Amino acid sequence: MASADSETRPGAREAAQQEPIPQAVKIIVAGGFGAGKTTLVGSVSEIAPLSTEELMTEASCGVDDTGGVEDKTTTTVALDFGRITINPDIVLYLFGTPGQDRFWFMWDELSAGALGAVVLADTRRLDTCFHAVDFFERRGVPFVVAVNRFDGAEDYRVEEVREALDVSEGVPILMADARVRTSCKEVLVELITHVLRVRSPALSG
Amino acid sequence: MSAEGSKAGGGHGHLPHPDTGPVPVPEVAVPPAAEAEAPDTVWLGLDSAGAGRERFLRPFAVDAGDPDAVRSHGTARGRGIDLLGHVVAARTPGRRERLRPERGAILEHARHARTLVELAAEVRLPVGQVREIVADMVGEGALQLCGPSRPLAHQDILHAVLVGLKSL
Ligand SMILES: Nc1nc2c(ncn2[C@@H]2O[C@H](COP(=O)(O)OP(=O)(O)OP(=O)(O)O)[C@@H](O)[C@H]2O)c(=O)[nH]1
Ligand SMILES: [Mg+2]
Repeated sequence: MASADSETRPGAREAAQQEPIPQAVKIIVAGGFGAGKTTLVGSVSEIAPLSTEELMTEASCGVDDTGGVEDKTTTTVALDFGRITINPDIVLYLFGTPGQDRFWFMWDELSAGALGAVVLADTRRLDTCFHAVDFFERRGVPFVVAVNRFDGAEDYRVEEVREALDVSEGVPILMADARVRTSCKEVLVELITHVLRVRSPALSG
Repeated sequence: MSAEGSKAGGGHGHLPHPDTGPVPVPEVAVPPAAEAEAPDTVWLGLDSAGAGRERFLRPFAVDAGDPDAVRSHGTARGRGIDLLGHVVAARTPGRRERLRPERGAILEHARHARTLVELAAEVRLPVGQVREIVADMVGEGALQLCGPSRPLAHQDILHAVLVGLKSL
């Protein structure tokens, strides 16, 4: 019950129920530290990337009499996201999330119901996306690999990246530049095309 | 100490917390109208939220202690309100929010339907904490959960997203 001084806005409920609520869907952008996740999200998002965080309590943290909140051993994990309004009924959210395995707990929730994922491979440290590739393969989340070419890093060919990451032929790998909107758009289009392909019943027939 | 603060306190005896029960089934809202004024600011500075009210959030008001709550929200899949679930305010902030500015801010920012994760970014609190507060507020009728006005089949969503992305 609302307390006496707060207004249940005249017709608030009705207004709320008239407001069109879009279907919110998501794509995960994963990759190692500094791979360009936030940059990619920002390149295609209609808003400057927003950020929130999730608290992770260290497993070793017992409940004790520390008294001060500062003493709690919690780690925060940043969660960047952007938004693309597809049409009045659908809003797509892009979540950039750290690739370290200690953040798996968050990946579980993020990947649940995701349309698919983009794994950003950083050519300076290809191995930093192994975890992400493993995770999405195991979870059956369709993904593409976008190879972010950093200046001065070794130039890889797609086949070399495929071999290094050991991803099957079916998984698209494309060269990208997270700073360039058209490049990011291409990556996302490739992802959804891939998702439609692997989800298509025609394939199994 | 706010109510949020008092419900924490780790393993010590503390106030029973009546609001953590099951979240009511979302009420599905229906079309049209417009959310055209959906703000495009990054941070909707809390300043805009409450002239005359407390203007700030005390970050620790809501996460003091209770690591269990944090852990359960962090790890449990499908538990609680989805990151992309929409919530909308059913009323304006009032006396109840006087000592709980985070709740006042949530009500302000949820004047128009918001996803949980956007709400968290706007009020600048960890999303797990906002999830918990929102669940309480839904329980007491201050917020409503809303499902999509026009639920779509997965395949239709994919096709629409593809078209939308191509026209970016
Ligand atoms: N050359 C080049 N630089 C890039 C590219 N993408 C991002 N960068 C730069 O790399 C740096 C890190 O990019 P971010 O987008 O912050 O990376 P991130 O993955 O979000 O990093 P964390 O969240 O810290 O893990 C920035 O300085 C970007 O400008 C790219 O495609 N090419
Ligand atoms: Mg980042």
